[in-house]
Amino acid sequence: MNLLVKSASKLVILILAAFVITTGTTSCKSKKKLAREQAEKEYAMKVEQARNDLTAMLEGTTKWSLDEQSRRLNKIKSYNIDDPEIMDMITRLEAKISMEKAEAERLAEEERLKREEEERRMKEATKYEKIDNELFAISSSTTIDAANKKITLSLDQFESPDVPVLIIISQSGGFNDYDRPTTISKFLNYLKDKQQYKYKVVSVKRNESGKITELELIKK
Amino acid sequence: MKLSYLSIFVISLGMSITGLSQDDLSPERKQAVDSLALEKVRDLSKYISIIGSKETPWSEANRVIERAEELFMPGSEIGVSSLVRPDDISYYNVRKYFERLMRLNYKKVEIEWYNIEYMSDLQKQPDGTYVGVITIFQKFKGYDAEGRLVYQDTTKKDITVFVERKETQIGGRLIGFWDVLLGDMRVKETTP
Repeated sequence: MNLLVKSASKLVILILAAFVITTGTTSCKSKKKLAREQAEKEYAMKVEQARNDLTAMLEGTTKWSLDEQSRRLNKIKSYNIDDPEIMDMITRLEAKISMEKAEAERLAEEERLKREEEERRMKEATKYEKIDNELFAISSSTTIDAANKKITLSLDQFESPDVPVLIIISQSGGFNDYDRPTTISKFLNYLKDKQQYKYKVVSVKRNESGKITELELIKK
Repeated sequence: MKLSYLSIFVISLGMSITGLSQDDLSPERKQAVDSLALEKVRDLSKYISIIGSKETPWSEANRVIERAEELFMPGSEIGVSSLVRPDDISYYNVRKYFERLMRLNYKKVEIEWYNIEYMSDLQKQPDGTYVGVITIFQKFKGYDAEGRLVYQDTTKKDITVFVERKETQIGGRLIGFWDVLLGDMRVKETTP
């Protein structure tokens, strides 16, 4: 009887062990499968998202900045998606971003140069303000005597009364058209006669002692 | 100066011809040249007013005559008319005209030019120069010692304008400039 009980106990243990082993293996296999399926699902989603993002960036329908687009592109590249269509999109987007960056840099450079030119122009505009004011004062004198006094004072800063005065009447294509050159003496008297100063000094040449040897104006 | 346009062209052939780059003016440059020529006529208007004014000191008037003369081509003439003899128009050389103007027998003279505009636009000639005609209206008023207006008229005048491209060296630079010269100033109409 004891022997029978012992044998039955062993059999139960064996059956239990077999059951545990069998069910345990089956459960492990199912978890791996689930994980694989999950990974595949996630990958598919990632690929789909990458495709959508790449399309949006290629078609320019995204509001991302160029830097944001670059970052997104690098992220997508890091997925190493083995899909010919995605790979082609990546190549095209790289070229597009590179071109747009170059264009943005060109525009930025153009803007910088424009700003510099504007600053230079502003500086130039005020550079000869004193002479412009003196010439304007001659033209707006109320009497001949007052104008003549101003002319005498003004002439003092020129090398001679015959210093050439060049008047630009038009500028196009980096080319200047001038009126017939005159002398400073005649020009100052002209301002007195015309009672009008509608010019702007654009360049002044001086000798070693600082006296003006050439005056160039532009008609406003 | 009673030269026909044909004679003027022949004379102009001897003048310097500009480089190829100047041959065809862009509208902007042409406009600048048109304005320059009009400005020279306005300068003349101002000079005539100064020369004619009895308030202008003699020395100033003479200086202005020099400047005014420089505006004209040598040999140019200016027409003078009067309401007394409207059909009898006298032509004087420029210098003579200004000297007469300076000595007009009035106590006070007022001369005003208005409606200064092109009657015939500057047209390019075969020699490269440009020729046009500018019309002006001159209002003349003469007063006696008592300040009474004793004479006034309005004269329509046509001024021939010659524009030529020239070059000169200044400070080692070659400067291309437009030389505007006025020709004859002809009386077209005199009204009270």
